[in-house]
Amino acid sequence: MNLKKIMDEVYEIDLVNASDEELMEINKEMGLALSLEEMKKMQAFFRSLGRNPTDLEIHAIAQGWSEHCSYKSSKPVLRKYIFGIESKEAMIVMQDDAGVVEFDENYAYVFKIESHNHPSAVEPYGGAATGVGGIIRDVLNMGAKPIALVDPLFFAPPDYGEKLNPGIKHPRYLLNGVVAGIRDYGNRVGIPTVAGITYFHEDYVNNILVNAGCLGIVRKDKIVRSRVDKEGVKLVMVGGRTGRDGIHGVNFASKILDEKSEEEKQAVQLGNPILKEPLIHLVLEANEMGIIYGMKDLGGGGLGSVVGEMCHAGGVGAEIHLDQVLLKEKDMAPWEIWVSESQERMLLAVEEENIDKLQDLCKKWDVEMSVIGETKNDENLRIFWKGRKILDMPLEFVTAGVEYERKYKTKRMKKMQEILPEPKYREVFLRLLSSYNIASKEWIIRQYDHEVQGRTVVKPMQGLIGYETHGDAAVIKPLHHSWKGLAVTTVANPHIAKINPYYGSLYTVDEAVRNLVSVGAKPHAFSDGLNFGNPEEEEIMGEFVESCKGLGDAARALGIPYVSGNVSFYNEAFGKNIPPTVVLMAIGIVNDIRKAVTADFKREGNTIYLVGETKEEMGGSEYYRIMDAKSTVVPKVDLEETKNRSEEILKAMDESLVESCHDVSNGGLAVALAEMALGGSIGAEIDLSSLGAMRDDFKLFSESPTRWVCEVREENSEEFEEIVKSKRIGVVGGETLKIRDGERWLFNVHLNIMRERWKNALKEYIG
Amino acid sequence: MKVAILQMEGTNCEEESYIAFKESGFEPEYLHINLLKKGMLENYDMIFVPGGFSSGDYVRAGAIFAARLKAKVWKDLKRFVEEGKPVMGVCNGFQVLIELGLLPGTDGISEEPEAALATNESNRFECRWVYLKKFSDTIFSKHVGDKITLPVAHAEGRFLADKKTIEKIEEQNQVVFRYIAPDGSRPDYPWNPNGSVNDIAALVNSYGNVFGIMPHPERAFFWYQHPDWNRVKRERGDGWQIFNSLFREIIEAKNR
Repeated sequence: MNLKKIMDEVYEIDLVNASDEELMEINKEMGLALSLEEMKKMQAFFRSLGRNPTDLEIHAIAQGWSEHCSYKSSKPVLRKYIFGIESKEAMIVMQDDAGVVEFDENYAYVFKIESHNHPSAVEPYGGAATGVGGIIRDVLNMGAKPIALVDPLFFAPPDYGEKLNPGIKHPRYLLNGVVAGIRDYGNRVGIPTVAGITYFHEDYVNNILVNAGCLGIVRKDKIVRSRVDKEGVKLVMVGGRTGRDGIHGVNFASKILDEKSEEEKQAVQLGNPILKEPLIHLVLEANEMGIIYGMKDLGGGGLGSVVGEMCHAGGVGAEIHLDQVLLKEKDMAPWEIWVSESQERMLLAVEEENIDKLQDLCKKWDVEMSVIGETKNDENLRIFWKGRKILDMPLEFVTAGVEYERKYKTKRMKKMQEILPEPKYREVFLRLLSSYNIASKEWIIRQYDHEVQGRTVVKPMQGLIGYETHGDAAVIKPLHHSWKGLAVTTVANPHIAKINPYYGSLYTVDEAVRNLVSVGAKPHAFSDGLNFGNPEEEEIMGEFVESCKGLGDAARALGIPYVSGNVSFYNEAFGKNIPPTVVLMAIGIVNDIRKAVTADFKREGNTIYLVGETKEEMGGSEYYRIMDAKSTVVPKVDLEETKNRSEEILKAMDESLVESCHDVSNGGLAVALAEMALGGSIGAEIDLSSLGAMRDDFKLFSESPTRWVCEVREENSEEFEEIVKSKRIGVVGGETLKIRDGERWLFNVHLNIMRERWKNALKEYIG
Repeated sequence: MKVAILQMEGTNCEEESYIAFKESGFEPEYLHINLLKKGMLENYDMIFVPGGFSSGDYVRAGAIFAARLKAKVWKDLKRFVEEGKPVMGVCNGFQVLIELGLLPGTDGISEEPEAALATNESNRFECRWVYLKKFSDTIFSKHVGDKITLPVAHAEGRFLADKKTIEKIEEQNQVVFRYIAPDGSRPDYPWNPNGSVNDIAALVNSYGNVFGIMPHPERAFFWYQHPDWNRVKRERGDGWQIFNSLFREIIEAKNR
């Protein structure tokens, strides 16, 4: 690599005269993670300018063109399937850092889910904490107050016993580190963590997934855009200082993990919740005063991405003085300052006359600020360092980047379903209760403060105090003066998507709807977290395309828009890709929180109903997994049924006919009933004969979609049956769960035995 | 009656506390420690230290908040207490009052901390609902029912002190609330969520005007904040009773 020093810390790189081989050498030495094609595009650009670039210019382009920042592999697919689902209430969709949807006449809610996978695989505690911090800023920079967090996590099983690849840490270590990271950040920053997933599958052994989502609330007239459309507006950095932590985070995120990843710890940023907490106050107060013209948080890609995207979106240029940026360490090179992903920083666009007011607020909250430049009336980005111009390029070239129509191949599995000899029901039932994807996650949930802010009116764990079960969704009451609520849930079904990504997506959308309806919420908007392997492999790209197609088809049929999202590719290590992992953060509207419903059985003598059809589709089921039986017949969703059943249940809930409700998912009907019984600490007697002629293991353990269990008072049962298409399957009561099919008794298990299995299964691995 | 809700970086329960005071008939005001100056506390009738993670609790929980208060307004604060004005701390606020030496305050104000809120026996942060039984009538508890339920959310809530101090606390009837099992008996984990000595959940000083409580009354102020609201009908949350007690004992008493 030929370079020439042009001033302190700044070099000119000979790109114009470089051969292909030398281009790739530059790529490698500078850690750009670009392809040869992209390097050549960059070379052609500087040839056309007739000059060589500075190191800063090359880094700025590489940053803008990284998969993480440009969505170069995913955008064409997203555009085709995910974008553009009509909704009257969606206000800002897939444009800024988080989606904005109408809540009521005066307020909007803001939310997004995002991944923080690679950093968490290398440094679980810091990586997870930073993931939480980043997603909070995405919501904050829309001017919204963050009011809830969610955290879906994916690991290899905690008892994983195979030999680990070099540099790969045991899932138990990762799980404990990630949970601690989320706990210590979320709790300190004072935002309740109300939902999440802890999912185990062997295929995550080399590459765990840590997704984090945040929900906020904002008055409509206080929404801030991540754009500036006017010249002469000052660009101000507030919050944390800039350091060498998190350099090349986005390039790191766009690479495959290997044994050297450990050495890239520099790419992992360090979060500081106690810097963030006053920063939130400061930003919200400044917004209330009306002095923020535009705002964006510094996340992946750092200052470079933010200045570029904010000005590009508004159609203005910018002039930046990098020597004005406040630093953690003195001798940083301009390119390092430009790409650093140090945490707890925000870029505010503020008009000159308001700078003093901002200064006063910063003093009160003990937060540092620095004016680093201003917007200009042209299309170029210009960067100065100690008075000398060291970057001058059109913003379009840096931020609009590249896009690929990647080749893909759809894998089709042959349809087959192994039929097992009829099992011992009691034994299978208890094994399911202690299977790690079903067993109680209370140990994790209780380490997160889900009560802070006092808005959580339906909790993540539901039931009698001390006996709570997993709820389907949490309900937040965002406004003091209104009974309207927001239900929050997260869902993912990699076990089904692995067999068929299209149906996996349909199932996941259906489950999101199920969860929201269970608490009495009308499904309203989604944020999609798409986690996939290496998109340069045609089969992986095929999984991505099929998943997106399913997401699009399902949500379009139901009229629910995706308003924000995130794509994480390259979740591959040592030749192993993760299963296609579509995570949805779903929000529903509860018109009146006084009518919200929880999952725990309430009272002896109440009638139990099953809503929805049970079918012999065992592909991806927990039952077949623990029995080691094979099936590629995955559950299929009929979206018309999803729509009708959920509307019916919501109507019944609106008329206060439903005492408890829980969706049927992992482990099937048997597990759903057990969870309801555990939460209410009261048993039930069930007769499966109304499900028709089918073997009892299918009736009990099938994971067919669009199903719920509802508990109804006897005096309301007639009215309930008129509204909801359902089957009467039993009665609440006693201290055991008794299940029979007509005359044939399948099992009778005491609550204490169920609780012991369910509660203690994960205990020995965690804590 | 003006209540100063103290803030510093990391306090995070101030908003729900503000609502609780406001709805109970007080005039709450946020007061950031960066803006706090000598003589300022005189303008208030009560001081409230909210929960959270002041300064991250990276040292001992509450220690830095206490140190900064001591450095800035220790004399004012002592006078405030000596004058008999009420001071209340919840969770991290309780930790701060102990670090300041205002609690347990067996002989009034102590220049050195006499006790500690140590790491939970479970060795981790836990957020759960607990049952409490009232053991002493104070301005903070007089109109509170015998048994209430409130949420805890902390990693350091195990009350510890030497034997003599504990004896004195008990002798002087300073324990306001203890954790109990749902049936009213002595609690095991998780009903005593942190392993607190004598199941102590809340204390008052010997003067009866400084009150610290680990569970969060401000998070159980409205009935719908309770986890079992669809099982148990309440007009108001159990935490409201504490704020209401204060209101009746101070404001109503004044107007009587």
